[in-house]
Order: sequence, then structure tokens, then C-alpha cells
Amino acid sequence: MAKYLKNDDLGQWLAELGTEYKIHAPVQEGRSIAFRPLTQDKILRIDRHATIGPKEILFPACEELMHFSYEKDTDNPGREKIRVQPADNAVPTLIFGSRPCDARGFDVFDGAFTQCAVKDNYYAARREQAVVVSIACTRTENTCFCNWVGGSPDGTNGSDVLLTPIQDGFVVQPVTEKGETLLQKGSLLTGAAPDQVREAEQLRAAACASLPEAPDFKCMPEQLYNLFDNMDFWEKQSAKCISCGACTYLCPTCHCFNITDERNGNEGERLRSWDNCMSRQFTQEASGHNPRPEKAYRLKNRVGHKFCYFPDLHEGHIACVGCGRCIKSCPVSLDIRQVVTSAKECHLPAEETDNE
Amino acid sequence: MSNTNNPYLPEMATVREIIQETHNIKTFRVTLNNEARMKAFSFEPGQVGQLSIFGVGESTFVINSSPTRMDYLQFSVMQAGEVTSRLHELQVGDQIGVRAPLGNWFPYDKMKGKDVVIVGGGIGMAPLRTLLLFMLDNRDDYGKITVIYGARSPQDLTYSYEFDEWRAARDVNLVLTVDAEAPDWEHKVGLIPNILLEENPASENTVAVTCGPPIMIKFTLEALKKLGFTDENIYTTLEKRMKCGVGLCGRCNIGTSYVCVDGPVYSFAQLSKLPNEL
Amino acid sequence: MMLDQLKETIKTALPELDFVMGWTTGYDPLHATPLYMYEPDDVDQLIWGPLNVHNLAVHLPALRHKKVGIVVKGCDSRSVVELLQENLIDRENVVIFGAPCNGVVDMTKIRKAVPDAHFARSVETADNSLTITTDKDTHTLSLAEVMADKCTRCRFPNAVEADHFVGEKRIPAVETDPYADLESFESQGFAERRDFWMAEMDRCIRCYACRNACPLCVCRDHCVAQSREPHWVSQRDGVRDKFMFQVIHAIHMAGRCTECGECERACPMDIPVLLLKRKLGNVIHDLFDYDAGLDAEARPPLLAFKLEEDSIKEKDW
Repeated sequence: MAKYLKNDDLGQWLAELGTEYKIHAPVQEGRSIAFRPLTQDKILRIDRHATIGPKEILFPACEELMHFSYEKDTDNPGREKIRVQPADNAVPTLIFGSRPCDARGFDVFDGAFTQCAVKDNYYAARREQAVVVSIACTRTENTCFCNWVGGSPDGTNGSDVLLTPIQDGFVVQPVTEKGETLLQKGSLLTGAAPDQVREAEQLRAAACASLPEAPDFKCMPEQLYNLFDNMDFWEKQSAKCISCGACTYLCPTCHCFNITDERNGNEGERLRSWDNCMSRQFTQEASGHNPRPEKAYRLKNRVGHKFCYFPDLHEGHIACVGCGRCIKSCPVSLDIRQVVTSAKECHLPAEETDNE
Repeated sequence: MSNTNNPYLPEMATVREIIQETHNIKTFRVTLNNEARMKAFSFEPGQVGQLSIFGVGESTFVINSSPTRMDYLQFSVMQAGEVTSRLHELQVGDQIGVRAPLGNWFPYDKMKGKDVVIVGGGIGMAPLRTLLLFMLDNRDDYGKITVIYGARSPQDLTYSYEFDEWRAARDVNLVLTVDAEAPDWEHKVGLIPNILLEENPASENTVAVTCGPPIMIKFTLEALKKLGFTDENIYTTLEKRMKCGVGLCGRCNIGTSYVCVDGPVYSFAQLSKLPNEL
Repeated sequence: MMLDQLKETIKTALPELDFVMGWTTGYDPLHATPLYMYEPDDVDQLIWGPLNVHNLAVHLPALRHKKVGIVVKGCDSRSVVELLQENLIDRENVVIFGAPCNGVVDMTKIRKAVPDAHFARSVETADNSLTITTDKDTHTLSLAEVMADKCTRCRFPNAVEADHFVGEKRIPAVETDPYADLESFESQGFAERRDFWMAEMDRCIRCYACRNACPLCVCRDHCVAQSREPHWVSQRDGVRDKFMFQVIHAIHMAGRCTECGECERACPMDIPVLLLKRKLGNVIHDLFDYDAGLDAEARPPLLAFKLEEDSIKEKDW
């Protein structure tokens, strides 16, 4: 059952929910928009895509996995004892103002971190306690391509509630049971009138129609395997890349991480922090050998992971949500759409031989 | 898995014995501090573990003792980076973290009733030692065992204190080789793949298992093929940069295969189906 | 016309080169992207104008084993010269194509002036203006309004070193850099300046685009930012380590930085990191009367040791 929330009531609604959840929302920060705990002094920015999505709320850029301390072993003064305390800091969290592409990123995270042999308990605990309230896009940017990778401007995957901005307010729709429960709280939501629901539907349909036609990427896994040894192709695709981590860190689906220890005196932490496959150190082995020694190999792995390996392991789901941040924030405007379509259209030497 | 709720949390262990194998390789024998857990600990030959020095970090090593000999867990460590350097400073009685067992193992069931050729180079002998001891402790299950083990010089051979035990076992042919002539060296001189060809083990009903530096593996593979071994009957165990060890951190993949959970043991038939990214 | 001439010059030189780096239109009409010209047909995609923001010199050190061409703006050419000064590239393996530059845009300023910039459908550039048409409306901006700050104080609009220079040389906007931005920033108190940096650096995501976009950041894969030995920067979350890296970077760049501004432009979080380098550039300029990247034969002052520096009067202390 769709509900309606007046623009003027949004602040109050969030304030009410704030008593139960820690609310993260996109706010203005310097010249950027980022998801931060929503406090009085912050300016909420839901009028456009955030510079960086909400992934860090469930998968922080850096988190403590465990704390350790060294102490004298009183039974054996010549020895040290080590005490290790795993971190546990998941709290009920409401992610407000994510876009459908951002929320779909959590779907990919669920696949990578919880639907596998060994679960990531840190992510799982936070995910379980999080409610995701997304806003449907009614206008699409030049870098948007969610429809190419199985999403849409009004997609609901990964969200618990979907808001559609209409004149003077929002049509509010629950997506999951978690969302239903959330919408039963507070007094500010009213039932949406049929013409409000219709207006929302029309706006969403228009946004979907505004996106360029989606190419068929079903063939991509096979095509990328075939292109694997074509280093000339990958060298040309990666030529302008400067091997920084902007694309991976801003990506709602990139989830590779590093584990490092920090120690101050007798105390310290084992940390998990974002890592990125575009950096040389990512696969550098102690022997000096590196299976991905140049940026061409690394871009191949990044594209391969999203459009080939992940789909192969997860029922065809592409590990890209088409948010376009990797394009928009790339210092050299490297366009992953162009890399993937070039790969799709690249005629392989093997095919040519077949035709002969 | 050591801790079903938190795959990142190591178990505390104590270093019981340290063996200086070569100038840059030390072997550590450790036991878990929790006696019940140590008693219940089980693993398969070829599986690996992560050793932790808190404040420095973790690194992956094969458990190179045999599951048939559970007095301790053994790891051989070549000094190469930050973690291995700190491991080399450990003294008997020191505390470390262990996350084990991780990964897959040698297909010792499929190898039953067959002859086995083991080809190891340098520190690459570590996982092969686990397999060898396991087979020696289940001697009736396997046929003739040929071990070709080479290193740069006699001083670079690990486990030399065990060679007599290996040789004394029934139907084991231990062939040692070094790259260049050395004083008092009474065994072979020459590169491992050449010695392998010289030994000329039969490939029929035989499984080959090899581990060593990438260049050695490459030529050993060629030599094995010359001897008539098929990709299905040649196994290796891979080394990759690993962090989490449980298939989550994303760096040790070869295509869809994560070396930390789907490996480290692969047949060459399996590897030939994966992207060429070793 | 100038562009046609540039294309012809590149096509003539191309057979002797592995490729030539320039710019072309990127993912939308507002964003240019680096162009690698391997074949004469590729050259036809070349563009020249205020959207060519990237400094392509960043790629040169890694291409040392190749013979490549590079199209440069005046500021880019200074990076090439500095790379030559530091023996990071070989003069005989680089062919420099220069053309007069009228300044490039600052995308952050454009986004401020036209919040709908990411919906641009077409862009028209004229000598002094830029017209952006989005899905909803049309905005005409004067170039001066959205020009990168570095261009407003540009002293070298023409390449300082080029094998081929096409077009008529421009007269620089100013003769000396007034460092007015720095002066205004430094007129604030210590607490204000500290709070400014803590707030700005807090949103750093440690992607190191600033470092990798820098043509003169030479440690690359052996950077202190990730190194464990030495362990100067920790991976702990917090502004302290993030700022620590920026300070190390800025100090490494002192006397080498040409203030091309790529660090700041590349930052996906829009952190004004160039200001730190400007401060050091200003100090170097005052101390050594030196500007980086103007003379391929000159020795950067901090890469040399002189017993007596002309403007450091240690003996008088």
C-alpha cells in the first residue's frame, strides 16, 4: 500500500526515525556530497547523485576487525601474553536517500559476502541491522547506465522502501517486510491518493525511457574469456588509466579489501580497509612475481570481475550497477561502458579462423 | 574453520620448536593453546594456514606436518617480507595467531593404488613433505614413490635431517639434486626437469605432484608431458598473495577460482580451463 | 584552422612514432578524455580548446621505452621539461606538439555555475565563452568565470619547449604569479586554517588519484602511503594519516612542482590539495628565485647541494 509524505514533513519523519536508528543520508560536504550521520548542522542533498554512495556505511573504508594487547605473562615473566578482542559495532541503521543503483550495490555485496562458503560476519551484522530507504531517479545523468546491467531508475533490489519524488512530496512504497514495518512507524505518512501514485508511475516510466537503449551483455563472460590473452586490446583500453583507486572506491559494488595491523606500544588493531585491484601491490607476491604486473592486466581483471567472473559465480548477475561514478569521477574520464562494448564488438582472431 | 562466527579471528598458539632449515628458511612447530581444540584439530594434506604476528600482520603457509602426526602443526617459513622477517625472530614459547585449516588438499583418495612422482624445488618441498609423510603413514595405499627434490645448493635443501627416514621407507626412491657441483656432494647435479627426464619414471597408473618456483614448474610440466603424463594426472599447489584466506578479499583469483578456497591444489587439467594468469 | 594545422603536423610525424597523445571528446560533450593516436584516422578525433584539462605528461615516464608524441598546453610543457630535468624521460624519445592555450575550464566551477552540468546535451565553445545546453535549458558562461585558477595567473600559455608549435603565440595573462589565493588563505588564523584542512581532508577516500595524476610523483608503486617499511602512514581511519600523506607529497614536490593542478583536478572528492603545493612553490620561489619546469638544463634547487645559497644567509645568523 503506497503512502505519501509531504516535502515539509521529511525532516520531521527522519527525526522521528532517528530515535530508533542511526540515520545516514547524503549531505553537502565541502564541494562534494557524501553519506554522513544526519545531524542538525548538515544540509541534506537528495536533489542529485551523491559524489560517493552509501557503501561505506555497511562496508567502511577502514574498520577495526579486532583489538589486541600485549601484556606480561604473570606466570612466566619472561613471556608476553596476547589478548585479542574482536570488534562488534553494528547498530540499527537507516540509510536514507540512496539511489536504486546504490541499493543494488548491496545486493552484490550480499552475494559476495554472505552467499558464499565463509560469511563475512562484520558485513552481515551491519546489513542485518540496516534499513535502506531509496529514492527513485526521475532524471538520468549522462553517466547513468543502470538499465545496461539489469537495473532501472526505479529498481527496488537492495532497498526496503522506495520513495518517488512527486510534486510537493514523495510517494512511499514498501519493498520488503523490513520496509513495511518501518512505514508503520510515525504519524506523518498518509495514504497516497490514486493520482499521486499515477504521477509517480509516470515520472518513473519517463526516467526509464530517457536512458539509452541497453546492449545485450549476456555474451560478455564468454567474450571476456576469449579476449583474456589479447593484451593488445587491454593495453589500448587501459592506456589513459593512471592506476588510481577512484573508480573502485566510488564503486557501489567493489568490495576488495586489505588487512593490516597497526600497533602503538602494547596496543594495536587489525584493520580491514578498502583495497583496489588497480594498484600494483594488490597482487604483488613476496617472491617479486606479480600475476598482474601492468595496468592492462589490472583493468582486465576489474572488467572481468564485474562482467565475467562474478556473473559466472552468481547466476549471471553483473557486478556493476551502472551508477556511472567510475566514469564521472575518473581523472581521465575512462568510460567502462566503452571498454565493455569494445570488448563485445572486438573481433577475435579465433572467430576469423572459424569463418575461413 | 577455526571460528565459525568470525573467520578473521585467529586462535592463539605457542611456538614449541624452531628448526633452522637453511640460511633463510625456518620451520616452526606450534600447538594451539586451547588443548581441547588442538586435540580436535583436523586437516587434510595440502591445506594451508595463516600465521599472525599481532601488530605486524598475517601470512599464508602450508601446514607441512602430516595429519597422521598430530603432536604439533608445522610451518616452514622463508624470510621474504615483513611478516616472515618477524616470524624468523620468534623464540620457543612465543605466542602467535593461527587460522587453519584453509583451502583444498591433495587428492590422496584418487591417488590410492597408484605410483606417485613428487617433484619439488626449494621451499616448494614444504607441501610435498606433508603429502609424502601422509603416504608413508598409509604406505599400503600407494605404489612406488619417487621423490625428486632439488635446490640451488646442498645448503638450500630443507628437511635434510629426514632424508634417511624417507629413504628407509619401503619402495621410496629419493633423488636429490643441486644446480652446481659442491664439495662433498654425492648426489645429482643438474636442473630438476633434466633429472626428472633422466630418472624416467613410468607414467602409467602414476600421479605426479610438483611444487616450486614458477620457472621450475613450467619446465617440470614439459618434462612430465614428455614422459607421458596427462594434465589430469599432474597436480601442483599454487602460491598467491592472500589476505583474508577465506575467499572474500578478492585478490587471489584466477578468473572465477579463488586460490585460497578453491586451491591451492590444482590439476593442470583444471588450470588449463582457467584464464592464463599465474 | 589551428586545429587542422595541428592534425596535419601530427599526421606527418606519426610514422616515426609509436603513437601521439592528445585529447578527444569523452563520455559527454562537456568532458574531454585523453586520445591515443596510433593511426592517421585517430588524429581526426583530436580536439583543442578549454575542455582539454588533462596533463598528459603523467604518462611519459612509463613510456620511456617507446618513442611517443605528446600534445601540450603551456602548463603541460613545464611538466615535460621538469621530467627532462630529472632525467625521467629521454628527449630523443619524445616529440612535443605545442599550441597556444587560452585556458582550460575547472569542472568544479562549471558544476557550481550549472548544477545540471551532468545532463549536458551539447557544448559550444567560443573564444571567451562556453554554452552548455542540458536536457532542460541553455547556459552561456564566460570562460573567465569558469576557468581554472591556474589559467588566470598563467605566465606560459605557449609551450616552453616544443618540437612543433602550431598557431600564433599568445601573450600571457600576467607576468608574475601574485599568489593572491595563498595570501588570502594565510591571512586567517592558525585555528581557522587547521579547521579548514581537517574538514577538507576528512572526506579523503585515499584513492590516491592526486598522487597518480601528478606527472612528477615518481615513487608510484613504492609510495609511503602504503609502505609498511617505512611505516610512516598508517591505514587507520582518520584525518591525521590522510593529511600526513598530503604533507609528505607536497614536501616531495617542493621545487619540482609546476603547479599544473592535476592533483586537485583529479580528486574525486574535490579537496583543494593544490594549495599545499602552492605554499611550497611560493617558498621555493622566494628562497631560490627558481621556477620548476622552465629550463631542461636547470637543476631543481632541492635536488642539488650548494655550500652557499644566494638567498639563504646562514653566515649572517
